[in-house]
Amino acid sequence: MAKQLKQGCTINGVIEFLTTGCRVYALSQTDSNYHLTSDEKWESDRHMLGPHRPVEPLKSILFPPRQGVGRLLEDAPHSSPKPAAVIGVKNCDLASLKIHDYVFRDTEPKDPYYIDLRNNTLIISCDCSRPCDVCFCTAVGDQPFPESGFDINISPLPNNQYVLESGSEKGKKALDSCSDLLEEASQDAMKARDTARKAVYKTVEEQAAVKGLDGNKNYQNAVTGSIESHLWERFAEDCVECGACNFVCCTCHCFLLADGRSATGTSERVKQWDSCLYKNFARVAGGANPRKYRAERLYNRFDKKFNFFKKVLNIYACDGCGRCIEACTGKIDIRDVLKEALDEA
Amino acid sequence: MKHNPYAALPATVENIIVETSNITTFTFRPEEPIPFKAGQFVELSIPGFGEAPFTPSSSPAVNDVMDITIMRVGAVTERIHALSKGDTVGIRGPLGQPYPLDKFKGKEILIVGGGVGLAPLRALFFALAEEMDHYKKIILRYGARSPGDIVYRNDVATAWGKPKVDLMLSVDKGDEGWKGNIGVVTTILEKNKLSINIQNSVAVVCGPPIMMKFATIKLLERGYAPENIYLSMEKNMSCGIGKCGHCRIGPYYACKDGPVFTYDRIKDEPRIWD
Ligand SMILES: Cc1cc2nc3c(=O)[nH]c(=O)nc-3n(C[C@H](O)[C@H](O)[C@H](O)COP(=O)(O)OP(=O)(O)OC[C@H]3O[C@@H](n4cnc5c(N)ncnc54)[C@H](O)[C@@H]3O)c2cc1C
Ligand code: SF4
Ligand code: SF4
Ligand code: FES
Repeated sequence: MAKQLKQGCTINGVIEFLTTGCRVYALSQTDSNYHLTSDEKWESDRHMLGPHRPVEPLKSILFPPRQGVGRLLEDAPHSSPKPAAVIGVKNCDLASLKIHDYVFRDTEPKDPYYIDLRNNTLIISCDCSRPCDVCFCTAVGDQPFPESGFDINISPLPNNQYVLESGSEKGKKALDSCSDLLEEASQDAMKARDTARKAVYKTVEEQAAVKGLDGNKNYQNAVTGSIESHLWERFAEDCVECGACNFVCCTCHCFLLADGRSATGTSERVKQWDSCLYKNFARVAGGANPRKYRAERLYNRFDKKFNFFKKVLNIYACDGCGRCIEACTGKIDIRDVLKEALDEA
Repeated sequence: MKHNPYAALPATVENIIVETSNITTFTFRPEEPIPFKAGQFVELSIPGFGEAPFTPSSSPAVNDVMDITIMRVGAVTERIHALSKGDTVGIRGPLGQPYPLDKFKGKEILIVGGGVGLAPLRALFFALAEEMDHYKKIILRYGARSPGDIVYRNDVATAWGKPKVDLMLSVDKGDEGWKGNIGVVTTILEKNKLSINIQNSVAVVCGPPIMMKFATIKLLERGYAPENIYLSMEKNMSCGIGKCGHCRIGPYYACKDGPVFTYDRIKDEPRIWD
């Protein structure tokens, strides 16, 4: 059942209560950007729910950029991670967990490192109130507000009002425990939430439409149908193989299992983010490389997102967060690539 | 902690057999037996240095030790070749899908190997030989660059020379002593060198990509259906467990859904031979 703040209570008070004893990942603002930062606790003077997703993807908490996965030949040094809470997760990042859950949690053999972090992290999501201008979630079948996949969702309304909702057993327990601060949400609050959601949806829909994209497009056919097109070469000309698009992407899950030695000389094995745009990503010994050319690697990125995951999981591995658009050194805009693919397929 | 699929089991080097100038077979004794089936592979690691995928070449019936035949081609294999008896490595596995031996029953099995590609086929051969009654015959066609590049010379005459086994070797370039066929491996797949009931046969191929490509073309030409041609796909692998994304072929991961694929499953994917 949806809740709202009791008279005199603040959302900061609720979040502080909900995240007691947890390491806190929350949004804070620097310049015009919102960043996902890690702190000992919720700091109401710095932390905020944020109007849209932060620069850093949610995956960086559950699938860290570089994570030790045991010293080779020895039992992995492994202690259960401290309970954590992420606050202000937007729906694109939430949707991306379907990919990571599938890869690391739901297919055998399971990844215990991911599962431990996942189980230990309370996810407090939040509706978008002001999308970034690169957001296009509505055009890939998503929406700027969460309806599932969270423990607790917070919908900010005008007048400092909020609607809180639980989406899991863990979330329900947590919300129930703040009965001193929350009461059942009023019909008016629910209506106001509905209005706010529709307005934001429309904003995203309109900015996606300007780029020629909408939720009825079949991107799988567009990508596979344009494999022979020169569009991949044209866009790939601007790619400098920095890997930024992969690293900021909320869904990209590829990694390298690499061996090295620590400063003290012990052997260490790490799981570290990798990029399919890197030349040697698919190279095999002897030098053969099924994706020798950048255009092939760029195509591969789209094939993985819009064809592979459509086939194996029936979803796109793109949630329209627009991060790759902001991050790309070569100024390649995924919306333009998709639009051209739609036109040429 | 729960099972860690990234952790390797320690194994010691028990024996070393130099096969050719750049191929060596190592016998490893893992801390605990690693039961595997023919066609499955393992990730072998030099602690603190790196890991690479290899297919055991010994009989799957033997669990406590495992032979792995390794060609020296780069960073990790270089380090493996520098190992001495008693050294410790890491082994992670078994990984991937085995050959579907049930589907091979009652058939004539054509095994086509090139270079170090004979390694997994040797494990397959041993598995078939264990239950020879189930198979009509085994036909082995192996190609190497030169007589000096032929692997498993110690076994070929003895272990492999069983009844119901038809073995033929070919080298790209012979020498004074060489009495066998000269030419690439496809030359011993021609009608006059290979008599086989294709309708009741499966072909299993492993070797360098170029050899696999031309062998497949030849087998199709001779009438093999794509679903009866089994190919070992060598792709860049890192995790070996379907998570890291490196080995993808279309909708498959070579490490998890393979490494062996029938040709019909992958023939439409781009650049499978690279
Ligand atoms: C399923 C399978 C079975 C195989 N079986 C055999 C076999 O039985 N015998 C045999 O000789 N060969 C076999 N191979 C080939 C063997 O895996 C390669 O020869 C080996 O990976 C070469 O490693 P290298 O480091 O020596 O070569 P390199 O050319 O140095 O590296 C080869 C590839 O591994 C990557 N790589 C190199 N170092 C690292 C590192 N530290 N961390 C992560 N990636 C790295 C590189 O990106 C490169 O793409 C098999 C391959 C596969 C996929
Ligand atoms: S591909 Fe780009 S827009 Fe899509 S989820 Fe990844 S970073 Fe976001
Ligand atoms: S961010 Fe842009 S330049 Fe960098 S690898 Fe991705 S496509 Fe290439
Ligand atoms: S090697 Fe990692 S997915 Fe296949």
